[in-house]
Amino acid sequence: MSALPRPIINELRAVVGDTWVVVEEKAIERYLYDETAYGVRPQPIKDVIVVKPGSTEEVAEVLRIANKYKVPVYVRGGGTGLVGGAIPIKPGIVMSLERMDKVIIDSENMVAEVEAGASFGKLLEEADKHNLMFPAHPGDEGASVGGLIACNAGGSRAVKTGVVRSYVLGLEVVLPSGEVLKLGAKTIKNNFGYNLAHLFIGSEGILGVITRAYLRLYPKWGYTATVIIPFDSRVKAFRAAKKLLFSGFIPLALEYFDRRVIETSAKYLGLQWPIKEGDYFLMIMLAEALEDTLFLELEYLDRVAREEESLEPFATQRDDEQKTLLKIRSEIFSSLKSETFDILDTTVPLGNVDRFIENIIDVEKRYGIWLPVYGHVGDGNVHVHVLNYQGFSRDQLEKITEEVYNAALMLGGVITGEHGIGYIRRKYVKRLLGDTWIETMRKLKAVLDPNNVLNPGKVLPEE
Amino acid sequence: MPRWGALNIVVLIKPAPDITKAKFDIERGTVDRSSTTLEINPFDLYAIEVAKRIKRLFGGTITSLSMAPPHAEPALRDAIARGVDRAILLSDKRFAGADTLATSYTLAAAIRKLGSFDIILCGEKSVDGDTAHVGPEVAEHLKIPHISFVIRVVDITRDRIIVEADYGDAYYTVDLKLPALIALSRPVIFKEEFVEPSMPKISDVLRAKRAKIEVWNADYLSDVADVGRFGLAGSPTRVVKAYYALEKGRMARFVKGDESIITLLNTLKELGVIQ
Repeated sequence: MSALPRPIINELRAVVGDTWVVVEEKAIERYLYDETAYGVRPQPIKDVIVVKPGSTEEVAEVLRIANKYKVPVYVRGGGTGLVGGAIPIKPGIVMSLERMDKVIIDSENMVAEVEAGASFGKLLEEADKHNLMFPAHPGDEGASVGGLIACNAGGSRAVKTGVVRSYVLGLEVVLPSGEVLKLGAKTIKNNFGYNLAHLFIGSEGILGVITRAYLRLYPKWGYTATVIIPFDSRVKAFRAAKKLLFSGFIPLALEYFDRRVIETSAKYLGLQWPIKEGDYFLMIMLAEALEDTLFLELEYLDRVAREEESLEPFATQRDDEQKTLLKIRSEIFSSLKSETFDILDTTVPLGNVDRFIENIIDVEKRYGIWLPVYGHVGDGNVHVHVLNYQGFSRDQLEKITEEVYNAALMLGGVITGEHGIGYIRRKYVKRLLGDTWIETMRKLKAVLDPNNVLNPGKVLPEE
Repeated sequence: MPRWGALNIVVLIKPAPDITKAKFDIERGTVDRSSTTLEINPFDLYAIEVAKRIKRLFGGTITSLSMAPPHAEPALRDAIARGVDRAILLSDKRFAGADTLATSYTLAAAIRKLGSFDIILCGEKSVDGDTAHVGPEVAEHLKIPHISFVIRVVDITRDRIIVEADYGDAYYTVDLKLPALIALSRPVIFKEEFVEPSMPKISDVLRAKRAKIEVWNADYLSDVADVGRFGLAGSPTRVVKAYYALEKGRMARFVKGDESIITLLNTLKELGVIQ
């Protein structure tokens, strides 16, 4: 039972209705975790209640109450975050936006008006009915739209589409005071006032609660294909990837993985990786409005693959085969999760991806371990799994993590490209972002959230 | 001229809509095949794979036949990329509205038009129509032996094929004299090899893009068939009513407590699930 005083609970009940305030321990359990790797996941506090507002007005009222009593609020979407951003760590309120899941498609203007609790999958499904789509694809379709925006999610298509930020035309945000900010419009261009919406995109729930968004949609691509280029050496694979990227060729996705990683995922799914030759792979997804463009790109890929001494490349335009390939690629994370200490989200400048991976292999050799490496070579975002190696202490695992981070930093990279800081990367903020960044952020937060009720203990280091 | 022992292999390919995207016209009881792009029916991919293995053993030619609207052409190019040597599209407004009888009649006519053939392969059914009629009916029109639901090709020579078929109540091992029609299930085993559709090579995809697709119309088949038996005119089937399965939804019942096992057993007995 929550330690939150009964009068506060009653006030919350009066706002959202009895049904939507959850206090039973068993019912709360599923609101306590996200997808953060077990090794680094914070222990959630169980002394919370779950409140499920059904409208912006109710969100505002809940925040007013929380602000009045200075009760922490942890906003929750789909719970698919990887850095503990949604995990409550102080007694208070978990505010789940699951009831706010309306999606309205304005097909004439190619804009979606979406409530924050709607799942990404629902957005895609509704857009599809109008032959439209949301261009970026951050992976897990169970994520909420609010979460995608609050975390400025990325995904494998960023090389062509950019990240979620690029598609947010407008936002409705509730501040801890209960005031509602309406930002932006359905227009593509909008210079009427500084675009405050971007202040909240990627703020990881510490500045305001996103309740609604205007998202830019695109017509569905008419023609798609997925190409797999196998190589017998990693060096050749990266040389080919670089050549493609530096020639101005922009695919929908350009992914790298090796046989061991991809076969682990295929096996986990009960599938077989269909390419028998080669140990290193580039997976290239193409999406175009015109069929002729797609075929010109296929011809170009074929030519570069041969110039760079690949093994026989394969291509499919069938939807089911493309989905299977993508599924195997996407589930690498899940297939390794049970043995993962932490999944790293290192990102380096485009030209340094190959050097970064050579450095990772060096770490592997020195420790005699396997560091599964894969990722979005098209945008420099490379995921490295540090596993729970037998006989390794937590300190050693953290040291390996540090070494991977240092490898990225030395090459001008960053320690997270798409997952964010959340809880687990706060300890790096002071060293990597510096005191001035922290002070500026604190001042900003103090303006919007003077009582520090929104997602306390996340992003910013403890004072 | 085919070399000695080489086989003329025919594969029937249905360009079918991606069933997860196709729209259903519940009023008319039809699948709106114009609402989505057409791809090779997934079962037919296995027919292509088996055809390639037969060709590898004996040499010969793989010819695919499809009856579909003109926008099915990319599916035929995909067939070429996957190993078909010659792809023929039967396309004519007069073929439209065909039921399985008229479809199989038209395909059989096209096979006669091709001249000699040694074996016809197809998927056991299509994912949109789901009837499993067309393959066997083609064989009946041609008066050749046939078998459906084939899960394994045990052996094949130039004049015989031995297969295993799964008819639900039993597995049948059947020895057929060629020419014959084999409708394949999935997954399927060819001799000792587990057959999975393989992704096409990029070079084959590009070659297929430039390949010629032959289009045959009703007139072209008029010397081997009765044109009046094509399309809607040759289709005795009428859709009287179409409805979604599971109209009533699931009928879940919750049983609790000590009595629950007895209740569960009685219910399953009543429904005939157990005896």
